[in-house]
Amino acid sequence: MDRKEILSELKKVLAPYTESKEMLAEINEQTDLIKDLKINSANLVDIIIDAEAQYNIEIDFDAAEKMYNVGNCIDVISEKINKPA
Amino acid sequence: MKSAGNDIVALNVIDKQRTCQPVFYSKFITPFELALYHQPQMAFEIFVWLLWSVKESAYKYLKRGDANLVFSPSKIIVQDIEVSREFRSDRWEGDQSVGMFFKGNVLYDTHTLYFKSIIYDEFVATVVNGENNFQYVYWGVQLIDKSDSVSQSENVRLFVLNKLNSLFPNYALSIDKGPAGYPILFNDGKEMDIPISFSHHNRYVSYSFLNLK
Repeated sequence: MDRKEILSELKKVLAPYTESKEMLAEINEQTDLIKDLKINSANLVDIIIDAEAQYNIEIDFDAAEKMYNVGNCIDVISEKINKPA
Repeated sequence: MKSAGNDIVALNVIDKQRTCQPVFYSKFITPFELALYHQPQMAFEIFVWLLWSVKESAYKYLKRGDANLVFSPSKIIVQDIEVSREFRSDRWEGDQSVGMFFKGNVLYDTHTLYFKSIIYDEFVATVVNGENNFQYVYWGVQLIDKSDSVSQSENVRLFVLNKLNSLFPNYALSIDKGPAGYPILFNDGKEMDIPISFSHHNRYVSYSFLNLK
């Protein structure tokens, strides 16, 4: 799965937690989850749990704290997906 | 360091079932903190969100001194939680007749911060301070009509400015956000030495600020 495909799937993960649907349609790697998508910080853990289910991966403490913008989320997900079993 | 940090969680919109699952709370609560949970003081899901609100408040407080700080909730560790009996001396703007009040301290790296929290049926709100003395820490919670981000932003500013205008009646106060994301208070365009923090979740907004005068 390349970064473009991860981004496409990530939109589905983020959709329930943002009121900025127009912004969601136009997100790029610089988009900030809280400042730009107006996602409440209380939903950040929900997003991590949903991403784990969506991509069948496990995101640990250290990785989770990097997921404050879309590019970082893709970095973490990409690394976990491509990690050898 | 002079700073301010607060947080509010609207308990009426959280997913209680998910909150109580280890896969959820273990993302930001350490085994040491889990041992602080003692029934029947509060339901477990409220304990989880109390700790979240303390950690987020501490992060906001510390971010003012370190603009590059990244929110790492599992590294901001609550050391102690106890029922507070000193609540009525606080500069709290809100109902004091019901609810549960807690205090304690939280550690991040070499920084120890102190917190006070209030839990009502529908929210948990926390404020932190660098000293275990909240005499100069003002904070409040307000229920608003709408939950969209524009309404939250407008209402929390009106709420805190109303309080600040009562303390500084002849000032021309305004609030803007600094580059690091935290709000800054101005008087007639000049930055004031009063750190402010905002929080909102669903239809609840809250503020805190430190005023040493």
